[in-house]
Amino acid sequence: MKFKKVSAILLAGLMAFSLAACGGGSGGSSDSGDSGSSGGDGTLSVMLWDANQQPGIEEILADFTAETGIETEVQMVKWDEYWTLLSAGAQGDSMPDVFWMHSNEAERYMSNGMLLDLTDKIAESDKIDMTKYPEDIVNLYSYEDKYYAVPKDVDTIALWYNKTMFDEAGLEYPTADWTWDDLYEAAKALTTDDVYGFACSATNNQAGYYNLIYDMGGYVINDDKTASGWDDPNTIKAMQYFEKMIQEGIMPSQETMSESAEDVLLGAGTIAMTTQGSWMLAAMKENEYIAANCDCVELPKDAATGKRVSIYNGLGWTASANTDMPDEAWQLIEYLGSEEAQIKQAELGVTMSAYEGTSDAWASSADFNLQAYLNMMDDMVIRPYSKQTVTWENAVNEEMKKGWTQEVSMEEACKNAAEVMNETLAEENE
Amino acid sequence: MAGKNKVKKTAQARNEFIWGWLFVLPTMIGLIVLNIYPIIDTIRQSFYKTGDFGIGDKFVGLDNYVKMLTDGEIWQALLNTFKYAIVEVPFSIAIALVLAVLLNRKMKGRSVYRAIFFLPMVCAPAAVAMVWRWLYNSEFGLLNHIFHTDIKWVSNPKTAVYCIAVIGVWSIIGYNMVLFLAGLQEVPHDYYEAASIDGASGVRQFFSITIPLISPTIFFVCVTRVIGGLQVFDLIYMVMERGNPALEKTQSLVYLFYDASFVEKNMGYGSTIVVFLLVVIMILTVFQMIAQKKWVYYN
Repeated sequence: MKFKKVSAILLAGLMAFSLAACGGGSGGSSDSGDSGSSGGDGTLSVMLWDANQQPGIEEILADFTAETGIETEVQMVKWDEYWTLLSAGAQGDSMPDVFWMHSNEAERYMSNGMLLDLTDKIAESDKIDMTKYPEDIVNLYSYEDKYYAVPKDVDTIALWYNKTMFDEAGLEYPTADWTWDDLYEAAKALTTDDVYGFACSATNNQAGYYNLIYDMGGYVINDDKTASGWDDPNTIKAMQYFEKMIQEGIMPSQETMSESAEDVLLGAGTIAMTTQGSWMLAAMKENEYIAANCDCVELPKDAATGKRVSIYNGLGWTASANTDMPDEAWQLIEYLGSEEAQIKQAELGVTMSAYEGTSDAWASSADFNLQAYLNMMDDMVIRPYSKQTVTWENAVNEEMKKGWTQEVSMEEACKNAAEVMNETLAEENE
Repeated sequence: MAGKNKVKKTAQARNEFIWGWLFVLPTMIGLIVLNIYPIIDTIRQSFYKTGDFGIGDKFVGLDNYVKMLTDGEIWQALLNTFKYAIVEVPFSIAIALVLAVLLNRKMKGRSVYRAIFFLPMVCAPAAVAMVWRWLYNSEFGLLNHIFHTDIKWVSNPKTAVYCIAVIGVWSIIGYNMVLFLAGLQEVPHDYYEAASIDGASGVRQFFSITIPLISPTIFFVCVTRVIGGLQVFDLIYMVMERGNPALEKTQSLVYLFYDASFVEKNMGYGSTIVVFLLVVIMILTVFQMIAQKKWVYYN
């Protein structure tokens, strides 16, 4: 009897454990059984996380197959699961052959030798010239003077606004000459019982508050990535701009924005203005309400500094260090990074392209003032990153939420954010 | 004679021994590879600061445990998990039990009702969570629309965890009900007849006959649901966005584990959280084992 009891308890524990152990897996990797290692049969496996881009990318890949005869197979995995799957693949030696890389994660993969070293191949190639891509993005995917990826795209931020609401309120549409103060005044005038003038949630950093921080001369992380800039007076000043909007009810509550993202609120006519990244184009095009009522324009400037910064980022095409077909994988990356494929990517409206001068076609891929996004490229700051971006970014988001819900003042939230971020950075630089 | 018999027996016994093990082997291998080894490895990892991709683990002793136990987040998560379980377990059991009793009678369309109540169990948890997320949405959700309210169901830190528990109750009722139905089939009819003759009411019969006689089933459901409830993850993961102000007051232990292990890639710390969860579940299960003597009747 005693034995039975003990074994029952053990069994219960066992259930607890095995369930927890695959908790992460059940979150997402249901279709990950054959994630990688399909190299054997001569097909390159390609993994990406953005379903909006998949059709365009597949079209480009079809061109590649027609040209070289190398078959490819695309696998779409949502952002959250993408990194779980990729790191499991890296550990288990079964990564896809060719895949997207992001600044948040790149260094971990490069420093552990998980990615194919492309340095020599790039040097030999007549199609790829690394000076043709934005330097910051090339740097994202370089480690100890070696290249591990070819830039795929760049993204910038612009202001989206509801034309109909501006018309009804008798206001002029936003222009490239706007300052953030103009935006505040307009947002205030547009706010009614049913409509909020502006929206930027506590977790919308790249497309939201980072831009204003750099406009006002603040910063998020210092250049050698050892200290947080969240307690910088200019950073705090920028964040207080949003605090004012929260207090005056010009922005929806953080509760509302967390349940329905800014683009959803814009598409439902609940907000008049918001800032969005260029990668959102496909979603904007598909929303009938936005297509009929909304347009975009350059971000406002800061009145004092006169600066109009766009935070920018760019993905890279990279390959697994352990792929069975390194030559074919390189051929594909070379093709995807070439001027021809980059132009096609822009023409199809997939994203803006990284290759110099190839994005113009993107601006005419939809009936919005997309030139605004291209104009934002005049003054760009790379999205703040370090080796463990995700860790401090999530911790900072937690603090920002408290500022947004006014559990603490924005100044305090910023100072707390600096503290938690510095802790992570200290650990990282040990 | 005796000696020969003994030899023969031994040969047979050895035969049985070999075949016995041969039959158990597949299960044992499965258990060892899929459960026991990971458990040991998880416990091992909880004493390490794990490197990226399993390379360069560094032994740190109890550092992870110290960090965890001094971090307010873990206690908040434990509280959240308990809050969830305290709603999910009793309600899902009570409602399922009543439904099972009602659906155990002869009635029209009985199997249709049974199927309807079991349906949520067949749906993918992710799909269930997506639908509920829309029902709960404070701007565009059906609930606020019908009741003309403006309640932040899942983003108000005070109520969010209970709203999620409601989803849990809804999805598990059918499963519990089927288990109870199976238990009810075992109860002999004579008892009810005798009770009726003695003039016992339906309610009295339920408490004096049904509950005691299916108490082993109730106990089983209780133990498994407590474990299941304490492991809640998917509902929270699907319903709560990262920007949700209620997340801190909703995230469960498994959610924290997921965050640490798979988002922040800190496997060592993640393992520590799981070991903590294991200990909590073991303690609760021991208590249930002791308490069962008071109320569970085995024939």
